[in-house]
Formats: sequence, structure tokens, C-alpha cells
Amino acid sequence: MSLISMKFLLFVIVAAVGYYWIPKKYQWIWLLLFSYIYYVSGGLKVTCFLAFTTITTWFAGMRLEVITQAEQDKTKRKRRKKQILVLTLLLNFGVLAVLKYTNFAITTYNLISGASYRELSLLLPLGISFYTFQSMGYLLDVYWDRTKAEHNLFRFALFVSFFPQILQGPIGRFSRLGEQLYASHRFDLQKAERSLLRILWGYFKKMVIADNAVIFVNAIFGEPERYSGLGIIAVLAYSIQLYCDFSGGMDVVIGIAGLFGIQMDENFKRPYFAISITDFWHRWHITLGTWMKDYVFYPVSLSGWMKHFSKFAKKVFGKQTGRTLPICLANLIVFLVVGIWHGAAWKFIVYGLYNGMIIAFSGLMAPRYRKWKQALHISDNNPGFHLFQILRTFVLVNISWFFDRADDVGTALRMMKYAVTRFDLSQLLTVQIGEASGTAYTLIFLIVIVAGCLVVFLISLLQEHGRDLDGFYDRQHWLVKCMLFAGLFLLLPALGQPSGEAGGFIYAQF
Amino acid sequence: MDKLLEILEDIQPDADYENCETLIDDGILDSFAILSIVSELQDEFEITITPSQVIPENFNSAKALWAMVQRLKED
Repeated sequence: MSLISMKFLLFVIVAAVGYYWIPKKYQWIWLLLFSYIYYVSGGLKVTCFLAFTTITTWFAGMRLEVITQAEQDKTKRKRRKKQILVLTLLLNFGVLAVLKYTNFAITTYNLISGASYRELSLLLPLGISFYTFQSMGYLLDVYWDRTKAEHNLFRFALFVSFFPQILQGPIGRFSRLGEQLYASHRFDLQKAERSLLRILWGYFKKMVIADNAVIFVNAIFGEPERYSGLGIIAVLAYSIQLYCDFSGGMDVVIGIAGLFGIQMDENFKRPYFAISITDFWHRWHITLGTWMKDYVFYPVSLSGWMKHFSKFAKKVFGKQTGRTLPICLANLIVFLVVGIWHGAAWKFIVYGLYNGMIIAFSGLMAPRYRKWKQALHISDNNPGFHLFQILRTFVLVNISWFFDRADDVGTALRMMKYAVTRFDLSQLLTVQIGEASGTAYTLIFLIVIVAGCLVVFLISLLQEHGRDLDGFYDRQHWLVKCMLFAGLFLLLPALGQPSGEAGGFIYAQF
Repeated sequence: MDKLLEILEDIQPDADYENCETLIDDGILDSFAILSIVSELQDEFEITITPSQVIPENFNSAKALWAMVQRLKED
């Protein structure tokens, strides 16, 4: 059931009305019921994988708690807990790896060995990466005694399957999301109003901007030789599409959760205002970044073998560099995982390592940067320097988008070369909008995208400067509010792409 | 405590470690800085810091960090 469909809207309305109509103590059961109806509507077979992750993780959590309480011997307790943890991690990440990466392994093997094994037709359960990561995060939290195990299997099943977030996140933490899911909620008109506005805003970003931008993105990235002069336009359009698609989807998801009184973690914080790649990853897909930090980066950095490497590096390279090198290595591992998470292809591995290497290099150079800035009397508060940092980061991010969107690494590199050597803006009006209409509406589509981006930019700029836009909305006369709702509602079918080339959300494929 | 402050100053010089209680919440210490501090604390005080201890509650202020060091030394 697509998030952009009347069927889905009807589903949400029925779920929300019933949620506040039934006795409060049954609200979480109601949510579980609708979450499973939603997931089963995508196929019964794939639901088995969701149930598998739910049951194995719940059972492992329970066992971890029992061992923590019952086993007195510290060494034995540690060993038994580790066995359960490793087994459950292997089982769940194993399923994810087999379903998602088997064909990548086959094609890579064929490429290296010259063999011609056929790819397998494997099911890929919706949102498998998201619910697996969320569940394994819970498991590690129980293992580290950061959170208590959930005793009720059905309550835990709701945490794994909560329908607004299961397709594309945000990846929730049990300590924050669990409590809210199981609590009873009273209808709050102000929250509902804000949530509805956020849903409409998300649809605006997705349907009016992302789904119009994708037409240019697909045309240019689909025929990079024909549109060789438009490399820069292509990557800018992709950066617009990706942001409005993913953050728009998050607005819809967070807005829907808000209708049930549940506040989800934010996944975006105006990423194109970032002043470094590190800062960018603190603002883009935040819940994946913090997941990677807590469950991969810190454990790898603090592992025994990394400690040995740290001692060795300090001896060889001196205290400062030796201290930073193991962190850089762990960071590269994290971004390798991030790259693989994005997809089963070499271009995603290059994308991940590109980000990881920039952050590692910045980490190593940080003390020198500080000295250079002092010597040149450059302050971080200097507006010019701040703008320079934003533009520099934006360029670096856009280079990474070439790898992310182009068909393969070779095409990405070729497009980057053409972007500089064959830049020709006049080609833009030759991009066809559909087979039938040709180029007759190209300029109109461009105007819609640019106007939409301007609106998003202005709102982002106000938020970046700490303006309270929710408060501003609350203070408006009810007539103004109605006009805002009606305006957004009417803009969607008038300027948006409800179907056709655009289709679903990019991150719903993960 | 003086040694701890020295380590913090060395790794991330421009912060008010005596008074600040939001070193993590306000993003003053990023993950690179946190792990550099962990590395130095482990060497200096001969303690082992595990991922479960790397939480904002333990790193938000110099006092909290010092309390964690004391706790781990007793273990």
C-alpha cells in the first residue's frame, strides 16, 4: 500500500478514528492490528520474515535478562550473554544478507571468475533493513543493560512493526518509542492539526518537488552521453529529489505517528546547511547515523584488537596521530557498512568509502586546521567563512551523489568529467517530459521545481535561524490556517506527479 | 581531576570544562573527540571503557567523566 494513495489515506483515517474511539487500554493492540494489516497487505510470505525477527529478538532479549539476573559468576554471565547476542545477530543479519546481497555476490563472482551462474529470484521483505536495524539496536541495548527486555511478545511486535515507520524509518530506539507506543493517548486537536500540516508538507515536498525533479534526473542519468552538458544540473536535481523524497517521506511518517500521539525521532535537520561532511551526517538520515555510531562505531573503536592497534599506532606515529588513526579506521568500517546498506553494488561501496575517507582525513587534520585558523585569524563565527564551509560541503556531498545515482562507478566518473568539460546549459530545454508531450512543458516543470525549492529553502532558513514556525502557525487566525491547508491540498494534484514515472519513495526499497 | 581537565583541553581546547554540563547535548564533543578522550583515559588511569559506558550521561560534563573514571577504577 503506497503512502501516496487514497487507500492509504483511508486506512490512516480509519486507524486514527478507531484509536481514539476504543478504550485507551486497547490502543496499543489496535495499533498492532493495523500495523500487521498494513504489512500483510504487502504479501503474506514476507510477513514471515518480520515475524521471525520479532520472535527471535524478543526471545533473545528475555534470555539475556534471565541470565543477567540469575547467573552469579561474572565470567560465565558475560560468556552466555555474548553467545545469545552473537547467535541472534547472525540469524537476523544473516537473513538480511542472504536476501539482499546473494545476487550481488553471484554477479561479482561471475565477473571475477568468468563463470555464468544465474541470479536467484529472492523475496525482499518491505523495510527489512529498517526493522532489522531497529530490532538489533534493541537487542544490543538489552545486552548492555541500557534497557529492560520487553516481556510481552505482542507489545514487542508493535515496536518492530509500527506501520508508519516500517517502510523507511526513522529507526526508533526502544527507550523512547516503546514507552509511547504502549501508553494511552487522548486526542489533542493542536497536535492533530500540526501533524496534518506536516503530512501535507511532506506530500508537497515529495509530489511537487521530488517527483518533478526525478523526470530530469532519470532523463539525464539515463542518457549521460546525450545530455553530457547537463552533469551539474543532473546532480543538483538529484540532490533536490533525494532530499525532498526522503525528508518528505519522513514528514509524512512523523505526521502520521503524531496523529496517534506518538513523537518519532527526527531524521533530518536541514542537511544542506551542514558545514562539514561530519556535520552533514549529523543532519542527514540522523537515526541511521546514530545507530551506526552507537552499535558499530563505538563497539569497533573500543574492541580489543583496536586497542592493540591504538597502542601500536601511538608508538609509531606519536600520541596525537596514533590516537586518531584507530578512530579513522573504525570510521572507514562504519561508512563501508553505510555504503553496503544503501545497496548491493560497488558504486554504493565507493559512495560509503568516499564519505568515510573525507571524515577520517578531517579527523586527522583537525589539530592542524585549528592552528591554521588561529594563524590566519579566521573565526568560526565569521559569516563569510561559514558560507564558504556550507558551499564546500554542498559540493563534496554532490560529488558523492554522482556515485549514488549513476548506473556504475565508471559512469559516475565520466559524468563528473563531462560536467566540467562539456557544460552546456542550453541542453536543459531539450529534456523531454514524457513521450507524448516532448519538450513543450519542460520550462513549466523547471519553474515548478525552482519555485518549490525556494519555498523549502526559505522555511529551512527560518528554522536554521531558530524561528518557531509551529508557534507562528498557532498564532494565525483560523481562516488563514484553513487557507494554508486548502492551498497545500490543492497544490498537490495541480503541480504534483501522483503516479507514472515517479512511483514510490526511494528509501522504501531498503 | 586536573589530569582529566588537561586531557580534555588537549583534545578539544575551546570549551568551558569547569562549568559546561552539556558537552554531548550541545555537540561540543563529537564522536572523534569522545573516542580520543576514551583512549587517553584508558591509558592514563588503566581502566577499560566499554561501548555501554559511552552514553551522554557519562560524557556531558567533566564531573560526570571523572565520576565514571572513579567508578571504573573501583571495579
